[in-house]
Amino acid sequence: MDVNVPDARLMPATLAPPAAFSGRGRRFAWTLLLLAVAFGAVPAAIVGTGSSYLAQIAITTMIFVILSASLNHVTGTAGLLSIGHAAFYGIGAYAAALLSTKLGLPFIVTLPAAGLIAALFGFLVALPTMRLVSIYFAVATLGIGEMIYVILLNWVDFTRGPMGIRGIPPIELFGWQADTLLSRYLAVAVIAVACVWVLHRLTHSYYGNALRALREDDQCADSMGINVERLKIESFVVATFFAGIAGALLAHTSAYIAPDNFRFMESILILAMVVVGGLGSLPGAVVGALFMIVLPEALRDIGDYRMIAVGATMFLSILLLPKGMLAEGTALGFVRRSFSRGWATIAGGTPVGWK
Amino acid sequence: MSNTLLSIQGLTRRFGGLLAVSDVSATIAKGELVGLIGPNGAGKTTLFNLITGFTPPSDGTVTFDGQDVTGRKPWQIARMGMGRTFQNLRVFPNMTVFDNVSVGAVGAFGQSPWRALVNGGAHSRAVSERSWEALERVGLTAQAGDIAANLSYGKRKYLEIARALATSPRLLILDEPAAGLNDTETAELADFIRRLHAGGVTVLLVEHDMGLVMGSCSRVIVLASGRKIADGTPEAVQRDPAVLEAYLGVEDDAA
Repeated sequence: MDVNVPDARLMPATLAPPAAFSGRGRRFAWTLLLLAVAFGAVPAAIVGTGSSYLAQIAITTMIFVILSASLNHVTGTAGLLSIGHAAFYGIGAYAAALLSTKLGLPFIVTLPAAGLIAALFGFLVALPTMRLVSIYFAVATLGIGEMIYVILLNWVDFTRGPMGIRGIPPIELFGWQADTLLSRYLAVAVIAVACVWVLHRLTHSYYGNALRALREDDQCADSMGINVERLKIESFVVATFFAGIAGALLAHTSAYIAPDNFRFMESILILAMVVVGGLGSLPGAVVGALFMIVLPEALRDIGDYRMIAVGATMFLSILLLPKGMLAEGTALGFVRRSFSRGWATIAGGTPVGWK
Repeated sequence: MSNTLLSIQGLTRRFGGLLAVSDVSATIAKGELVGLIGPNGAGKTTLFNLITGFTPPSDGTVTFDGQDVTGRKPWQIARMGMGRTFQNLRVFPNMTVFDNVSVGAVGAFGQSPWRALVNGGAHSRAVSERSWEALERVGLTAQAGDIAANLSYGKRKYLEIARALATSPRLLILDEPAAGLNDTETAELADFIRRLHAGGVTVLLVEHDMGLVMGSCSRVIVLASGRKIADGTPEAVQRDPAVLEAYLGVEDDAA
């Protein structure tokens, strides 16, 4: 089809002939495939091998998918470079750990509470720092992250400091306890999928377009009637909420947490996942988390050389794919075709807008 | 007068010792196409920023559609119906043409995250339709799926205008739209602006290009050294000795 025909009749998908049907089929195909991997193939592998090592990697991957997807929301999509994400992950983990071990609250309470407490801290951090831009905001989040780490480490009366917190009960819902490898994985996977789904709905919408506009040119977005400050705070609060949820999952699946789980290096690891996957690309953030967790494990056989191999892979992937494995533009087109719906289809079948 | 859309009174802005805009008063009525011109450094951009809320005035007031908007934030003023473009092209480069325009529509219809999560159908449809309409008005529908950075310079200008139109402006302020365009393109743009105006949009054209302003506007305001030196029809303004002096220097003395 010639795209340059000036009067080519381009019409909204609602008016388009049922060619849209094939697109719908494809959308379900991808969703089903991903759900089949998360809830079919991986559980089958865990049960089949009975390997706790495999289950642990699968759980860790799911937790980091949440962390990477949530950091992508604020850093990739809204363009606020945060290098203190692990601190909010830590706040969520400690909130869940302390609420369950000290107050005996059940998982159904500690999970949302961890998210909300992390989001509250996120809000308090966001209020004064939202006027900062680019690298200045990054340094501020670095400072906050280190502060939170030092508090977790040194407020021994409350957090037990470097000894960490032991005996955190496993995930439990209305009497059903996730005490087997499989059930632990499944519980984490269901929550991770739900988190990614919420982030998907937020970013792949016109609200998401406003977030991207912040990153592109916030002054300009301001003069389009976008309340920039509010949007920045919202994106930071959303990201820290999901970091808190990830923390609660870590606490309840590992039974033990210590401040070292939430150091600066973890923030950088999460950031690397987002960048390697593709800044601003939600599918990329998921792939990045998968890549950065699974690759070092897959390379265990080469022993001490494996971190060199991981580093080299990161270096090369950024060199060869500077926009990440799944660049934002590609990812948005893919999401519009496969998981969401474009509002209109223009010449060449390119979907535009969001439904 | 209820027909007044924008009214500025005694608008003044000092930057340290520099008086960038000094005691400027003017009004724009609904349905007008007004030009604002002045030589480099006359204070056009500062006045623009004062009106749109980017810079707070040192003194004076801005009244838009009967409401005092002095000191309001740019996004609040934009939501009241003041749309703008930028002199040095500021499209969102990594977003598609359609998504660029949709940001203006989101500004107009609201930006709540809940609508993205639940029950956002009507909101999405409104934003989509408004964005499409705006693209149709500037003739960019065929490029709707292209990345904005890949458009030609001239098309990015129209994209900026479409994005401003998507905010449903009652007053559209164009900041030097002809900058960087050749004569043919400028003529096309002038034609486009006239059609836009004929379609019912009130336009304030801040311009350097005299031809564009004189040929299109029914009224011209002239700024020089931060002061308003003339305000009238293009013919009257062109004959005004103060304007000639500001633009051409005191040539008459030498003659």
